Amino acid sequence: MNQTKAIAWQKRLYFMKRYGIGLLFLLPWLIGFCIFVAIPIGWSLFMSLHKVAVVPGGFKYDWIGMKNFKDAFVTDNVFPIELITYFQQMLLMVPMIVIFALLISLMLNQRFPGRFLYRAIFFLPVIFATGQVLSELFTQGAGEIPFIEQYNLEPLIEQYIGKQFAETIMSVLSRAILILWYSGVQILIFIAGYQTISPTIYEAVRIDGASPWDSFWKITLPASVPFISLNVLYTIIDLFTFPLNPVLAHIRDNMFKMDTGYGYASALAWIYFGFIFVLIAIVLLLFGRSVKTRRDRR
Amino acid sequence: MNGELWIEKVSRQVKGIFWSRTAQRIKVVVLGRNISDGLLANLILYGLLTIVAYLYLQPIFYMISTSLKNLNDLLDPTVTWIPRVVTWQNVSDAFRGLQYPDALKNTALIAISCSLVQVLVCAMTGYALAKLSIPFKGLFTALVILTFLIPPQIIIIPLYVIYSKLGLLNTPFVFLIPAFFGQGLKSALFILIFRQFFKSQPLSLEEAAKLDGASTLRLFFGIMFPLARSACLVVFLFSFIWYWNMYYEPSWFLANDFTPLSIRLDRLEDVLNPSLLGQRNTIENPVTEGAKMAAAFLIIFPPIIVFMFLQRWFVTGIERTGIVE
Repeated sequence: MNQTKAIAWQKRLYFMKRYGIGLLFLLPWLIGFCIFVAIPIGWSLFMSLHKVAVVPGGFKYDWIGMKNFKDAFVTDNVFPIELITYFQQMLLMVPMIVIFALLISLMLNQRFPGRFLYRAIFFLPVIFATGQVLSELFTQGAGEIPFIEQYNLEPLIEQYIGKQFAETIMSVLSRAILILWYSGVQILIFIAGYQTISPTIYEAVRIDGASPWDSFWKITLPASVPFISLNVLYTIIDLFTFPLNPVLAHIRDNMFKMDTGYGYASALAWIYFGFIFVLIAIVLLLFGRSVKTRRDRR
Repeated sequence: MNGELWIEKVSRQVKGIFWSRTAQRIKVVVLGRNISDGLLANLILYGLLTIVAYLYLQPIFYMISTSLKNLNDLLDPTVTWIPRVVTWQNVSDAFRGLQYPDALKNTALIAISCSLVQVLVCAMTGYALAKLSIPFKGLFTALVILTFLIPPQIIIIPLYVIYSKLGLLNTPFVFLIPAFFGQGLKSALFILIFRQFFKSQPLSLEEAAKLDGASTLRLFFGIMFPLARSACLVVFLFSFIWYWNMYYEPSWFLANDFTPLSIRLDRLEDVLNPSLLGQRNTIENPVTEGAKMAAAFLIIFPPIIVFMFLQRWFVTGIERTGIVE
């Protein structure tokens, strides 16, 4: 009896020693996670199920269950439309950013004098592509691709793609450059990714007589699939907090409305998050398989 | 008969020129042995990159040119890039409207202190997740990724209440304390970067240090942390830039007297034109357009200077940290 107790004590001591130092390192993050993430998330879920009113000295909660979530689609005639339009835009913006980053990074990966200068240029927008400066540029209409107006592309797009999509496409194209500003980090990820492909492979296929064109399709592209998926995910998450995101503006407006309030706003935020989450899950599913097969082959 | 001979002769001569050594050399110079090292390829590359870079930088040119235009030039559609009269009025307006020295001090204080704290804490957390033995390590890693995915809009109201209960509002601590607890701006991303970096370090290094009798704390602060210099630089710069530019969080947590540059840019119009108060966004106001662009330029100017000095280390640092593996 006594012995088993002693053994148990020894065991506990061993684990404490083993885990203690690791937990010590993790402790600040763990405390932070509880206070600044877990509690707010729980609170916000709680609020989304209530009608929240601000009274002197705090909040007043009235339980209304799922009504907030239902209202978002049934009563609110702005939110679903904005959500759909923004998702359409996003489906256009994500490939645009990733493909642009891929092409530019391919060019920047070549060895040529002065490439540091060009790398700097393409990374420059990261410095201010977040925040107020960008939305100021947006509102003043900078960042249009010049040829859109010159060649009057709008009727053409309307004619060939249909009116309901034309609007989305035009609104994306009209600030194409500023959207492409979001590709700084992605370009860096791609460039860093290419460094992981060993140069001996390129040499080997060149001796076997493959043209650079072949070696791009057969080696560079397959090897950078994981980075493409990483970039797609990063772009989606980055576009969450896009400064001119109409959904977020709508959520913000609803926070301060008398009849809707924080509860409804939190519900909207959760719906938005849910949609993004589904999108991320789909991307993971699509790319996950290709990444896995590649890992297995290694 | 004669003609055929003549054609053959000419064609042989042409072939001779074509296959001569000089021609070969020219061909190598122009087309290159590879696709990427010939003159032609380089010219195309430079051309493409320059065109794209020009398009890419156009909004910045717009910003600079607008900030130097006076009202007449702004309203005149024939003036596109180069203003007729260069005026510094906008810049001085912006300087006044932003209360630049004061706001610069606030922004720099927040950005530098939070970034430094974040580098240390994220490195510790990343190291713990990469190398130390912790129960439920997979769960913790998943939680880190989750914090990266949660949009700030969901938790902003509860956070506001928590911060106000803790008495942190309108002080720099409202950003410093979460940063200290590993929940600063995009901390999750930085933790993952450090985790990736420490994972790529060989185990033998640790074993050698352990055999020599170093404790884990000593191992981390003496060896691993200094080793992670390139990752630290990358994280510091990203964190600095993002703290510098953040708008959403300070718009909630910081008020009147203690505000960073980004908030003041938003309020610039009210400060310069008090008569238009409450009407903003409903009208395009060309009067303050120049001042706003000047202010935007003043805001991005310090990070650009920092970046110019550090960019070489920055890009190679990212390549070396192995963030992407």
